[in-house]
Amino acid sequence: MQPTSTSRYPDARAAFWAAARESIGVPSLVLAAGYLGFGALANGSAFPLWAALLSTATIFALPGQLAMLEMSIAGSVPVVVVITVSLTAARFLPMTVALLPILRSSGRPSWHLYAAVHLLAMTGWAASMRRCPELPVPQRLPWFVGFALTNWVACMVATATGYLLAESLPPLVRQGLVFIGPLYFLLILTGETRTRHGFVALACGAVAGPLIHLAAPQWSVILGGLIGGTLAFSLVEARKRA
Amino acid sequence: MLDVALLILGCAFATYLWRGLGMLVSRKVSMDSKFFVWAGCVAYALIAGLTARIVLLPTGTLAATPMWGRLIACAIALFVYFVLRRNLLVGLAAGFAALIALAAIR
Repeated sequence: MQPTSTSRYPDARAAFWAAARESIGVPSLVLAAGYLGFGALANGSAFPLWAALLSTATIFALPGQLAMLEMSIAGSVPVVVVITVSLTAARFLPMTVALLPILRSSGRPSWHLYAAVHLLAMTGWAASMRRCPELPVPQRLPWFVGFALTNWVACMVATATGYLLAESLPPLVRQGLVFIGPLYFLLILTGETRTRHGFVALACGAVAGPLIHLAAPQWSVILGGLIGGTLAFSLVEARKRA
Repeated sequence: MLDVALLILGCAFATYLWRGLGMLVSRKVSMDSKFFVWAGCVAYALIAGLTARIVLLPTGTLAATPMWGRLIACAIALFVYFVLRRNLLVGLAAGFAALIALAAIR
């Protein structure tokens, strides 16, 4: 499926299009599946189609978008929604820090990079971490943008499709679509977590989130993260010391 | 209308903040720093908590499906995903189909 290490392209433009083609298959389809569910979920809420599309275009991070939608439905205060969404996006910091030294090339204006990192998501990040180091430096950013921009377009199309389909679909299929979002994270989180901190945090969060929801639905997402995450951090650190 | 747009743009800014910040600190900060480890824990716990909450205590559309149906669909998705060496697409499709089938049986 992957082009073998003929990873030398004649120029930056060729690198961009090669990455776009590589992204069109499974990577974009997987991302799009999650956004199909997001679109369907948005349809059942107070969010009109343009709002669902605006959120995919400008946020482009599914956990944050799901949190925003769920919290709006629960009637949370906007400031709390923004803080919570921000916390779900904290993973982008280490991801960006790891990827940027690979993409950066001298002589390129830094706003190119600032614009490009908006497209950063788990799928494009993982692919670029693997493929870009093999490329000549000037072709790396075009490769990343070609891959990630294709993902972004696929997610926009999927958001609209999910939203528009939801109304015409039988309730059962609609429920299945809405279920894709949580399924996506269940699989990604259990399959791709590598560190002990990560595993313990997943377990603590999975217990804390629903429990806190029973007591304080409006605060459950952010409190579940803070309490579950801090508990996990303390547990692992305490065991290290013991 | 305007409040929805402002909420979304606020969330967009709050998300981009981390991507932009990553740009700024990518040369300076050590990623082993305890603060980042803690922040990572909070992020993982937050997403896991939200996921578990949607599966166990859903609101809206999913609330009409039976709890056992959602749990079995999750188990099937996980099983297929790991048996097919972390094939995300097929795992998702299996969970999606399983939920529809189980909800229909009821």
